[in-house]
Order: sequence, then structure tokens, then C-alpha cells
Amino acid sequence: MTVFLHILKIVAIVVLALFALTFTVYFFNLDMKLTAAIYPWLDKQYDKVKRDQHL
Amino acid sequence: MAKQIGADRLGDFYKEGSRVRKRREWRGFRDTMYDYSRWLWIMMTLGKFVMKPRNVKAMFRYRWMANYLAVPMMVDRHTQGLRGEYLRICHEEQDLVIDDVAKLLDSLFRGDRRIGNDKKFSDKVVLVDENEMTAVMMGFPNLKVLSRETPSTYVSVLLNQYAACHYIDVAQEYGLAGDVCPMPEAEAGVSIDDDAPVLGACAIQCNTTCDGSLLGNGVISQRLEHEDGIPVFQLAAPLRHREDDVQEYAAQEIRNAIAFVEKHTGHKWDWKAYFECAKRVNYATQCRMEWLEMNRTPYPQVFGSNLALYTETNYMAICGRVPAFEKADRKITKLARQAYAKKKMAAKEYRHRAIVWGVQSHFYMDFLVWLLNCWGIVPLTDMLSMVSTKMLVTEDTPENREQAIYDMAWLTENMIMRNRTHGGYKVLLDELWEFVEMFNADMVILWEHMSCKALDGMHGLFEEKAREKGIPLVWVSHDLFDPRIISRQGVRDQINSFMRTVMQEEPIDPSLEVLPDEKSW
Repeated sequence: MTVFLHILKIVAIVVLALFALTFTVYFFNLDMKLTAAIYPWLDKQYDKVKRDQHL
Repeated sequence: MAKQIGADRLGDFYKEGSRVRKRREWRGFRDTMYDYSRWLWIMMTLGKFVMKPRNVKAMFRYRWMANYLAVPMMVDRHTQGLRGEYLRICHEEQDLVIDDVAKLLDSLFRGDRRIGNDKKFSDKVVLVDENEMTAVMMGFPNLKVLSRETPSTYVSVLLNQYAACHYIDVAQEYGLAGDVCPMPEAEAGVSIDDDAPVLGACAIQCNTTCDGSLLGNGVISQRLEHEDGIPVFQLAAPLRHREDDVQEYAAQEIRNAIAFVEKHTGHKWDWKAYFECAKRVNYATQCRMEWLEMNRTPYPQVFGSNLALYTETNYMAICGRVPAFEKADRKITKLARQAYAKKKMAAKEYRHRAIVWGVQSHFYMDFLVWLLNCWGIVPLTDMLSMVSTKMLVTEDTPENREQAIYDMAWLTENMIMRNRTHGGYKVLLDELWEFVEMFNADMVILWEHMSCKALDGMHGLFEEKAREKGIPLVWVSHDLFDPRIISRQGVRDQINSFMRTVMQEEPIDPSLEVLPDEKSW
């Protein structure tokens, strides 16, 4: 029983920590702020791709 | 930060010069947790998508793929200020569309000769245009119907207002006219820029809506047929779609298209599958009619972008072929009925009931939510949502098989946009005023897509009729896919000036009147 409660406690802490982390990312729009930072770098990558550009 | 509708100053979430907003809304505990759970689901969908190496490879190959980083923000834009049932209806629709587009992308890259190169899979693929009714594929359950233009241009512009600009410029660098509709122009630009996945046993193009569309299809089909070796069928649906004398010709085009697909894929038309799809199309039509019926009352429920975006996807791109959309129809109708029974409202104040007509600015699809939150204007319905309500035959009999060909022809002729921009004076002009009366509207918002020749010619006739009826009409100019011509603020300013000078009103949420979203996705 004690072992079970101990596992339950660890699971609850992990779930709460994950919730706190993801909710912070969600609420402060951190996911979009990160992708906005990546975006200009991707644009440079696309300019380097070789293409057979023609009509 | 409040549970009540309209408690937040929504303009305060924007930040000058930024692509994204400062933070997400607090909508009260229950609605915030719901929105958060849907955000988690979207992140998981995106996570599953990038788990496949071929999708990562495609991300670095195709320029338009970068726009998909902005998927959560697109949902945020459409859920602005929404609470309760309205928030849930929006997520039901948007999340399903996201899932459907993720599957479409995954399939495209699986068959793409540059990425997955799964030849066996590619041989089951029939390519279709973005703006094409897929009715002709309802009887081919074992074939994959994929559109390359939907993810590369149509959805991309919903995600990022500047998504099509690069491709418009490429098309014009190669001498295509600058005053043509930027949608087909961008689609042609993707092909010229060698930025479209290459796959498929064959393709069906349609004379969708206009001269620009025909121009774009010509450029794309040349590359498909002459370089990629993918045969293309040109489905030429009659433009005078209300006339009886064109229906036999339209039906023959459907027979020809089916024969073409059978020839190039080796698959045979399946009537059982067709009639199953037809039942789902009828169910979607019934639901849409019920939503529109509610919108005629003082308590509209499924309206604005909730109605427009979903109808565009469900009516034309899905056309009964995906059972998940039937479930979504059922859930949305249930939520709408619940809210209607409680006489709920999506904003704290409804000041005007508007019919939105013309072709809306694609780079500013959430403008409909802005109208509601900023000025209390309820966009009851829009031109692109007023599509066919005809019920299809669903019982498999020899007579019905013949009728089904005509039903598919009817749907193809009555694709979104072309059912209003072509077909004569009645479908574009007269029926607008019938809808104004039917929906008890007191205002008309008329999009003026400046590159759409089909609509621009009627400018004076609309104004004449509005004066005759005594209905305030406001023109909102835009260039569909290109925010460099008229920006989002340029679109808003046209409404702001009209509301302040003609209607002599003040906004409900003044923080939304001028937004620093020039650089925003």
C-alpha cells in the first residue's frame, strides 16, 4: 500500500509538473514565439534549394 | 481576463512589429481549460506529423511548408473572444480541418517522387484542383483524391497572410498578368517555382471560376503532362448553371471524367460507395440549412468564419467522402441547438445583422470575428456559404444512377464561388436582396475583390439596388491573397470609416479599431 501511494505521489507530481509547463507555454504563447524566431532561418534555407524554375 | 463575453480588450493582445500575439486569452476556468486541451491536441497532431522523416524532409524542401508552423495561431485568430458553445463549434471545425490537412500533407509526401516516392501509393492518387468540387470522385473509394494547391496556397494564406506573395511574384516575373486573381496566379507560381509535389496516376482540372483560373490551370497542366507524365482531364462545367439546356452537356462531362479516371487508374466506379457519400452530402446540407434557419432568428448560432470556413471545406473538398465530417456536423448541430435553446449570444452586443457578399479576403479570414467583436456586426451568412441545397438521390436504382450523374454535374456546376460569380444576374444580384429579406438583415458588407472581373462589373447595380431597398451597403476592397495591395488595417479602415461617418456609431471594443498586425502571421 505504501509503495502504491508512493508511486501515485510520483505520478501526480509528474502530471502536475507537465501541466504547469505546458500551460505556461500555452498561456504565454511561447510555442508561437519560438516558431516566429525559427521562421526567418527557414526562409534562408528555402532560398538555397535548387529548383527547375520555368514557365 | 474574464469569463464574461466581451470583458477583454482584444486589441491589447497584439504587439507592434511582432508576428505573434503577447499571450492567449483567459476565458474563465472551464473555457480556458477546454481551449488548452484543444491546443494540446493540435500540438500532438503536429508532433505526430513531424515524427515521420519524410515530412521533415518536405518541411525543408517546400517553401510553403513553413506556414504550417503557424497552425495554433490560426485557431487563436478564429476563436478570439469566443466562449461556451461558440468556442466549441469553432474547435470542432478547425481541429477537424487541421487533422484532414495533416493527412493530406502526409499522403502528398508519401507519393511525392522527391520525398517518399511510394510508387504503388502514387498510382492510386488522382490530383484535383484546390477550388474544385470533388463529387466526381465519390464513387472511387479506393483511390486517393489529393489537391496540391490546397496546402500550398489555400491553407497557407489562412495561416500566414504573406504566404502567397513569393509565388505571385514568381508568376509575374515570368510574364503572367499582374491584375489577374492572385489565387490562381499563386497556384501557377508554385508550379513555375518547382515547388509542388509530383505524384499521381492522373489529374482532373476544372474551369473553376474565371479567366485567371483557366490561366493557372494551363501553366500547371503543361508541367504535369509534358514533364511529369501525368495525364490531365479538363472538366469543363457549364457556367450558365441555372439553364436547363446545359445540363445534358454537364452530365456528359461527368461521364467523361469518370471514364478518364477508370482508364488511368484501372479502378472501376462503385455505385454503393457513391450512394453512401450522397447520403452524407444530404446530411451536411440538412445541417447547414438548420444553421441558416437559426441565423434568420434573433439568436444566430453558426455564423461568421464558423460557417464560412467549414462550408468551404465540407461542401466542396470533402463532398461526403470523409465520414468524420458527418460526426462533426452532428456535434456542431447539437451545440447550436443547445445555445439556441438558451438564447445565447456570441458577443455582448448585437447591433447589426449583416449579409456578407462577394469574395472574401483570404488573408484576413478572421475579419468576420473582428466585425462581431469590434462593431457588434453579426455576419449572418456569406456568399460562399450560400451553396446548393438540392437533395441528391440516395437509393441505388437504374433511374437513380442516371439521375446521380446529373446530381454530380449540378454540384460541379455549383461549386463555391462560381455558383454566384457565374450563372447570371439573378444568382449574384437578385438573390442577395432575397437573402437580406429572408435573414432580416439591416446591412450588406460587399467585398470588392479588385482582381475579380466577374464581380467588379456589377458595382453600380449593387449600389442602385441598395439605395432602392434603403439598406446600408459598405464596400470593402482587397486583393484576396495579397495584403501588400490593401493591408488588413486597410480592410478594417473601410469599415471603421463607414461605421463612424455613415452609421454615426462608436465601436464596442475600441482597442480593435486599429491593430498593429502588419507583420503578423
